Amino acid sequence: MEPILDEQQSLMRETAVRLCKDHGGPKRARALRNAATEMDVPAWMELVRSGWLSAAVSEDAGGMGKGMLDVCLALEESGRQLLMVPFAEVAAVAHILGKIGARAENQLRAIQQGLQILVPALPQEGWGNVGSALPLARSEGGQWFLDGTIKHVPFAQTAQSYFVAAKRSSRKKAGGEIMLCAVLKHLVKLHTVQNVDGSTSSELVMEGSLVEESQVMARGGEAQALLDTLRDLLAITTGAALVGVSSQALDMTLDYIKYRQQFGKALGSFQALQHRVADCFVDIELNRSLVYRVAASYDAGQGHPAMAAAVKARTSRVALSVTRDALQLHGAIGYTDEHDIGLYYKRAIALAALYGNDINQTARFSALTV
Amino acid sequence: MIWDNTTLFSDDNPADAAFRKEVREWVDKNCPENLRDRPSRVTPPEMKPWHRKLYERGWIAPHWPKEAGGMGATLEQQLILFEEISRIGAPTPFPHGLNFFGPILIHAGTPEQKAKHCPGILSGEVTWCQGYSEAGAGSDLASLKTRAVLAGDHFIVNGHKLWTTNGHYADWMFALVRTDAEAKPRHAGISLILIDLKSPGVTVKPIKTIRGDAEFAEEFFDDVRVPRENLIGPLNGGWKLATMLLGGERFATGHPRNAAILLNRARQVARVTGADADPAFRQQLAALEIDLLAFTAYYRHGAALHGLGKVPDSMTPVMKLAAGPLAQAASEFLVQVAGPAGASLADMDIHGEAVNPAEDLFEMRRVTVGGGANEIQRGILAKRTLDLPS
Repeated sequence: MEPILDEQQSLMRETAVRLCKDHGGPKRARALRNAATEMDVPAWMELVRSGWLSAAVSEDAGGMGKGMLDVCLALEESGRQLLMVPFAEVAAVAHILGKIGARAENQLRAIQQGLQILVPALPQEGWGNVGSALPLARSEGGQWFLDGTIKHVPFAQTAQSYFVAAKRSSRKKAGGEIMLCAVLKHLVKLHTVQNVDGSTSSELVMEGSLVEESQVMARGGEAQALLDTLRDLLAITTGAALVGVSSQALDMTLDYIKYRQQFGKALGSFQALQHRVADCFVDIELNRSLVYRVAASYDAGQGHPAMAAAVKARTSRVALSVTRDALQLHGAIGYTDEHDIGLYYKRAIALAALYGNDINQTARFSALTV
Repeated sequence: MIWDNTTLFSDDNPADAAFRKEVREWVDKNCPENLRDRPSRVTPPEMKPWHRKLYERGWIAPHWPKEAGGMGATLEQQLILFEEISRIGAPTPFPHGLNFFGPILIHAGTPEQKAKHCPGILSGEVTWCQGYSEAGAGSDLASLKTRAVLAGDHFIVNGHKLWTTNGHYADWMFALVRTDAEAKPRHAGISLILIDLKSPGVTVKPIKTIRGDAEFAEEFFDDVRVPRENLIGPLNGGWKLATMLLGGERFATGHPRNAAILLNRARQVARVTGADADPAFRQQLAALEIDLLAFTAYYRHGAALHGLGKVPDSMTPVMKLAAGPLAQAASEFLVQVAGPAGASLADMDIHGEAVNPAEDLFEMRRVTVGGGANEIQRGILAKRTLDLPS
């Protein structure tokens, strides 16, 4: 069902549809993949010009004061056209920085102007449930030094800096408090591998990486709360992109089974296939409403982390099953590298695995709703 | 933050919030104790006092227009009434007269027909049943064969109706009958008539359901005389009336509350059986809760679009395809959680409250069959929304 939007939001959505169509699409995604290009620079510059990055930032913080619903509308289109840009990441970080105030002002301005790409580098394993050891930060003469390894960071080669959560090592007490800081790219070592869809996954190694006091954005309780929100937002934004991926894969499949003839009639006339795509449609429709409602809840200050977990769990689950069905209904051509439907299957796999997959997020939902 | 799966995404405005509070307090005070959280079915005679209370309070027909004796309520108010009644496990009044026939009567009935039948529906004095299905006409309803032949000022009705909920308690039936055997397409020969079930030639037999009780019945019509003035709408114009979706009716049947109640029941049972210590239980519960959240989002989205007059045609089948299997999965989960007691005819005692997982399981089987089986809904989506060929 169509989202309920004001005039400004409708305009934003129309712009997003056009922008993603013009600058994205399977052909472009394939070319980027084949050239092992991590980020689509022209597409990114275009969306910066269109003010997408300001959409996530409140007016008080110098943005356009819209919110996560707007960001999600744009991301749905971005997913539909397989755009290879870190919008889900940078928008989530920008939203967080907007809450920090003066300390983040310069960073935020640079992000909105497209002068800086700041991506989150957070431990991915178990997505906050288990085994997510944060890097350690030690203080020396008014500066900070970070040690630790963070795996599976997306867009790490293109980013100029990383938004890192670190644990302050303290002699007094075990554990210590959390801080959020920006770490410059040239101060870390990267080991990058390509994912199935052409996106990248980097291991980020910090061995005494320097962080100036001015790059520390938040500490203690505030840092923990912002980190939690950042995780929620990444789940929601990535979920929105997954809805776009699922929806486009279904549309392509519908086109295919209307046109492809076997036994003297269109495949789409067979009931077994009709029922299968009807179920895909139902699954996607529910997810679209879920993303809209959850994004709007966050914009209204009524978000709940379990809602974000639900978004990522269900959009991942459905994207995987819909793109898998899409492949099946395409028959042998769906198994080729040449056909575009495979690009959607692979993008679904890549996005489903990021920021907590279905199993991680379902477990997280469970822990949050006891 | 407390997670309450029965209030997800509810966005009452201040007036609605006040109304909700008023309804909540009144329902809690006025609903008979013996009707709350009952594992077994409530029969029409048992329902009558509760129906009457709601009637006297003016809340029995929120969706009916004021001039017909209803509340003329907004969809939000209708949902609040439904939610607050079911919140304490109280039954909602039977829908056949109030929700299924009432809106058709108001829409297509003559002033005389409305004056005769509306008061009984509202007060609950008269029990109605819906005579649509037949032995040979289930999903393919347009193939129905019960014949009504016009002879002067009466129809002579012969035939058989089946799967009629509350048929053995009903005073009246609104029935689809064939008034033109030659009509092409077939549904152009169908009319909607009202049959007094006390008429000579009517035989009613209850049917025992899989649940073990008699929820529905079958009726045999043997030269039953039905006055011509009991025809609703035009002759041979019954199909359109019967398949019309009137007002917010589609929101009443697929409310996410049904699944929420079952999942909460599963939680209670799990605490008693110890299943809640099992991570596998928690993961499965979470997966169902996530589906419930997604469906609730869709439902609220649809309700908001309804207020704007922008509900797409796809909403009714999507709602049915999502709500039914979810409620069934929740009932199956409840049975699993109950362990060996899941197979028992006897109620479980869960902190003094009677719970019968098998009753819930059986009850939920009907929701993907009645009102157009889910396979029919998939076909509707495929053809009308996804534009697939025949």
